[in-house]
Amino acid sequence: MTTPILEVDHVFAAYGRGAARIEALKDVSLSVERGEIFGLLGPNGAGKTTLLSCLEGLHQPESGSLRIAGLAPRQGKAKLGVQLQKTALLDDLTVVELIELYTALYAVFPTRAQIDALLTRFDLAEKRTKFIRHLSGGQQQRVALAIAIANNPEIVVLDEPTSALDPHARRAVWDLIRSLHDEGRTVILTTHAMEEAEALCGRVAIIDRGQIIATGTPASIVAGLNINPVLKAAAELPLEQVRALPGAQAARYSGQYLEVETTHPQTTMPALHALAAQLGRNLSEVALRQPNLEDAFLKLTGRALSA
Amino acid sequence: MQRFLTLTKAMFLVYLRERSTLFWNFAFPVFLLVIYAAVFGGDDLPGFMGWMVPGVLAVNILAFGLISSATMMTEFRQKGVLRRLQASPVPTLTLVGAYIVVNVAVAVLQAALVVAVAMTFYGLQLPAVNLLLALPMVLLSVLMSVALGQVVSGVAPGSGGAVAIGQILYFGQMFIADLIMPIEQMPGWIQSVGPWLPGYAIAQLVRPPLQTGALSPEFGANLLLTLVYGAAAALLAAWLFKWEARS
Ligand SMILES: Nc1ncnc2c1ncn2[C@@H]1O[C@H](COP(=O)(O)OP(=O)(O)OP(=O)(O)O)[C@@H](O)[C@H]1O
Ligand SMILES: [Mg+2]
Repeated sequence: MTTPILEVDHVFAAYGRGAARIEALKDVSLSVERGEIFGLLGPNGAGKTTLLSCLEGLHQPESGSLRIAGLAPRQGKAKLGVQLQKTALLDDLTVVELIELYTALYAVFPTRAQIDALLTRFDLAEKRTKFIRHLSGGQQQRVALAIAIANNPEIVVLDEPTSALDPHARRAVWDLIRSLHDEGRTVILTTHAMEEAEALCGRVAIIDRGQIIATGTPASIVAGLNINPVLKAAAELPLEQVRALPGAQAARYSGQYLEVETTHPQTTMPALHALAAQLGRNLSEVALRQPNLEDAFLKLTGRALSA
Repeated sequence: MQRFLTLTKAMFLVYLRERSTLFWNFAFPVFLLVIYAAVFGGDDLPGFMGWMVPGVLAVNILAFGLISSATMMTEFRQKGVLRRLQASPVPTLTLVGAYIVVNVAVAVLQAALVVAVAMTFYGLQLPAVNLLLALPMVLLSVLMSVALGQVVSGVAPGSGGAVAIGQILYFGQMFIADLIMPIEQMPGWIQSVGPWLPGYAIAQLVRPPLQTGALSPEFGANLLLTLVYGAAAALLAAWLFKWEARS
């Protein structure tokens, strides 16, 4: 194995002092290989942004070390393309002026044609001379992403790149991130959406309350926890009676769907149908779902990932 | 160098496109001049202008540093622009340099506008050499004022706070620092406090080239005062400086 392009080694980070002190990272270690799409998955306040801030040289950890291609964060900044969670664009500049500014900061000076190609790639071509203040939230987010790769970085650091986007735009951004991967760039991104991590990331680290509680491919994390398959159905049944069904280990409502963890789906499923019939309730859309990262988070922390 | 120029150009555009900056920096100074000429001008308009223009320049230079420059920095901080700049490999010195160059450029443009209006419409007559001599005085004053503004930005909690603090400091000096109201007409305590204010020092610096034509003994003292205030403010501002807004 080659040396990792990003190395995080026993990092502790905190904000504030005294009574106001918040320990945001508690002994975090991870490494990202060249060319990976690596996801940091965790709920609000888990420490995702703090970890990226340490990498970006914006936050000084209390102890531990971080390396960007072997360099300390302050020296490695030039290798990163950065999109911060809080989008920081200058409202009074046009899209092209903004791209020129943010590339210049990296001592990169693209030609007009290169800027046009970048904007076309981000579906911003017809907005090139528009002021940032006149763009929609989603368009601004795409500008922020365009800036993150405008300096042609080896490593792209994206903090919640799809949070402000509708489902369609979100998929478009997923495609863009995959294309960065195809170009050989390394991507590290944060998300609290389990499906985003599963769709996009080769490997993920699940982070909760400042600690990494699991690392690996989404499939290996789920497989390693021996989580039972889940029966999913549109139904309204008393949870206590569902939990008492043969094979059922746990039952809960997720959205409007009933979810039943079971060791023996083949016996639990007919029993569920029987219960619904007995109580005279509707039961539809019954499906067996393989466990996912959401279930893994639940199993690891006892709490749901998405509140 | 190209990096520096691109950064400077971007900050300059941000200044010029901000409507409130445009108003306060270019429309308001001329407005002030026009109103004062109409109300207090009297018969000897060019003579009045000789006293008035340095005062108006000083008022504007103060307003520029304490309000415009302070607010712009605070907004950059609040919106997270500073954070994004910090994440890039651009040296801090390049950022500071570009910010100073842009601030000085806008403030000098504004001073030039006031002088040009006074010369064109109110018969103020100044030889070219006086204008040339005024330039370094204006530059020095602007640098001090911008440094003061950065102290305001360093202590102000948000951009609203920066504007409020800046305005208190500026309006206070407007009336008691011999800028647009002669200090001789003021109560005794103001006459003793006024000459210690940065605004007073600025007015005295630009007065010789623009009005009196002669260096008074006070000139050296005011030059020193400006340098000391400027240096102290710059150090304090550097110490107070934060990349990120307090949450
Ligand atoms: N500037 C700050 N000052 C004080 N506390 C902070 C600051 N930034 C973050 N924190 C705290 O540190 C912890 C981790 O925050 P962080 O922003 O890293 O979480 P996150 O995983 O990015 O969350 P989110 O999904 O909401 O963006 C939280 O408890 C947060 O309140
Ligand atoms: Mg975050």
